[in-house]
Amino acid sequence: MAEKNGGLNSKLRKYTFKAVKATLKGILFYLLYIVLWMMFLAPVATVLPGLQRMIETFVMVYVVLIIVSELTSGTIFQYFFDAVKSLFMIGYLIMALGGGTMSITMQNINLAIDLHVFLGIIMLLSLLGLAKAVLQAINFMSEKAEPPQPLPS
Amino acid sequence: MRVPIRMISVATTIFWVFLIAFAITAVYSVRDVSFNMGEPQSTLTQDNMMILSLPFTVANRGFYNIGLLSVTTQISDEEGGVIADNSTTLPVVRIGEQATLVHNVTINATDFLWRNQNYLFDDASFLVNMSLGMRIAEVIPVQVSTNVSMSWGAPFYNFSLGTPELGSFDSTPLRVTVPLSFENHAFFDVACALRVQMYNAYGSLVGDTQTSVNAAQHSSYNGFVEFYVPQGEMTDTGRFEVLFLTPPFDSGQLEVHYG
Repeated sequence: MAEKNGGLNSKLRKYTFKAVKATLKGILFYLLYIVLWMMFLAPVATVLPGLQRMIETFVMVYVVLIIVSELTSGTIFQYFFDAVKSLFMIGYLIMALGGGTMSITMQNINLAIDLHVFLGIIMLLSLLGLAKAVLQAINFMSEKAEPPQPLPS
Repeated sequence: MRVPIRMISVATTIFWVFLIAFAITAVYSVRDVSFNMGEPQSTLTQDNMMILSLPFTVANRGFYNIGLLSVTTQISDEEGGVIADNSTTLPVVRIGEQATLVHNVTINATDFLWRNQNYLFDDASFLVNMSLGMRIAEVIPVQVSTNVSMSWGAPFYNFSLGTPELGSFDSTPLRVTVPLSFENHAFFDVACALRVQMYNAYGSLVGDTQTSVNAAQHSSYNGFVEFYVPQGEMTDTGRFEVLFLTPPFDSGQLEVHYG
């Protein structure tokens, strides 16, 4: 009974720790967003009216994925959510940046920004993140199937 | 497997930091770039070329060079036909540098007036499509474009020949004076030789004369032309045919009725 209680406590501690870590990561990411927003993005948002909504949606989904990924750490789902994060990043940026060309019209002035190079680099980095998640998943499965052996002394 | 995964993590983080730092500094770099457009100038050269000059000054106080700074202009008429276009490019504006770019658009006045002789007599409005392009940090292409309308002032606006006034009746032939007036709305001075032919009500040529007119830009001209008409050939009604002889106005031909 005591052993069962100890196991339950240990599991509870583990999950609490995971939840706290996930919350902290989410808060940190959100704080980073707020700092970046206030310092750099807010002046730009006055020129680009849809920018705030676009970034907020992205941050919201990304924070949810960070929390879920952290909550599922220690399982194969963590890597699944890491991969989803990378794919979401690629998909959302392609959608939000109109495939790499942004165009804004104010009164009689049309501003067009070609972000193909920028988008290309982000996609490559996200693909690197995706590759990392896949490698981590493979590593996780292989370690689970074959626990690491102690080195012979 | 752990070592390659860690290496990928480190590399990805470094690249992300560089990318975000670059994006932020590039955006801030643009804020420190100032553009000044000078007063547009129009001139008509000796070889009848209308040159529209637009001086630009670019001061780059940003963190990065500006690459391929270009100004493109396309002037089209009310029907959308292209009258002239040109593009001026500056390969690079370095950090801390102030560069001046003079963008010229040249219109061959003779061709332009031959294309539509109404431009000699009627004011018009043209559509100017202007775009300013550059590469922020020599990497990110940005283009700002706008449409503005440009007014064309006719050099012989409201060209008119008045009622012929007969001189002395006893002279042979009759001396006929016809008032001639117009307003020069153009940005250049007008100096043109005119040939005016006078036809009576029966369509017979009764007078043929040449005169030259001079009018400074944005001024009115009031003068007269003189004919010597044979006795008995003069009628109360008739018409004048006006031919403009000096380039670039030599496309002009006008018929004015009198009486």
